[in-house]
Amino acid sequence: MNVDLELVQRVQEGDKKAFDVLILKYQQRIVHVITGFVHDPVEALDVAQEAFIKAYRAIPNFRGDSAFYTWLYRIAINTAKNHLTARARRPPAMDVDALDATNYYDAPELKEFETPESNLISDELEQAIQQAIQDLPEDTATAIRLREFEGMSYEEIAQVMDCPIGTVRSRIFRAREAIEKQITEIMSEEE
Amino acid sequence: MTANQNELLSALVDGELKGNELEQALQLLSTNDTARAQFQRHQLVSDVLHGHVSHNLAIDLTGRIADALLDEPAITLPTKRKALVIPFPTQFWKQATGLALAASVGALAVMGVTNQSQSQLMPVTAVASIEAPAQPITVAQAGNRWTVGEQEVEQRLNTYLVNHNEYAGASSVFSYARVVSYDVGQ
Repeated sequence: MNVDLELVQRVQEGDKKAFDVLILKYQQRIVHVITGFVHDPVEALDVAQEAFIKAYRAIPNFRGDSAFYTWLYRIAINTAKNHLTARARRPPAMDVDALDATNYYDAPELKEFETPESNLISDELEQAIQQAIQDLPEDTATAIRLREFEGMSYEEIAQVMDCPIGTVRSRIFRAREAIEKQITEIMSEEE
Repeated sequence: MTANQNELLSALVDGELKGNELEQALQLLSTNDTARAQFQRHQLVSDVLHGHVSHNLAIDLTGRIADALLDEPAITLPTKRKALVIPFPTQFWKQATGLALAASVGALAVMGVTNQSQSQLMPVTAVASIEAPAQPITVAQAGNRWTVGEQEVEQRLNTYLVNHNEYAGASSVFSYARVVSYDVGQ
């Protein structure tokens, strides 16, 4: 099941709750991408909101030719550029390839969007995450690594680890739970 | 929240749902705030693992977007057009009419060709006299000159012929090509 496509189809059939889930899924990434153009955090949130609203209005035209995130990403970039143009600020000449957007974690261009603040948070989070993963039982750590760093499906992980898909699913959930605890501490420190 | 529900939300982050699990997840997220917060945390962990977070880790745009879309009508896609299916008798008669029409056109074409070949045998004078009965002009082409009854017409036709040969290319090699040239100063 392509969950994104299912959600989009539901939105196209008039289900606003499905769009809500798409926002929850992609808001961090979209805000992160927009921050590369619009450095003011409050302004970036406004632009992200505008991008999602544009996406909602354009969703009847989405035919699934590309991944939903790639499509949304293009809308976000255009919205950010238009925002800068409207405020007589020059948008960055450099563009990010849409394919890189799909594999966003590998896109070198997106690294350039990072601000010193976001780098600091990322460094702190990365250390916390690495620590959390090291503390996990080996099977759980392997499952989350294969999923998040290797991008494997549950089925592929099950084959690699020679275990049922249900086991993979619960291992990944347990790993996330453990990592969440670490992240929550950092987040509460920030607040 | 049960462990199963938590796992369900974690699997939603990975897009690894099956059967009616998406329905269950949507139901859970729209009715249970704890589930919603849990899903956001799962998603955040995934984003953080990919090094993809902004300076604000506690983003939630859903409320403000929902407010902005409050007055927006729910999307309704236009119903897909049904495939045009012609019932048998109609389809049969349509095809038969088409075939009859094609046969008629074919017959006319054959008859036309036959007539044309017959008319080619007719002397040019006859054609000219039929087309312009009021002022019969006898026209005949001999070599690269026209022979016409009236001197003025003959001269004009010959001028056209000379010009045509000049511009269309007198050489048989380039007879298919049209050469356009301009005098200096034009």
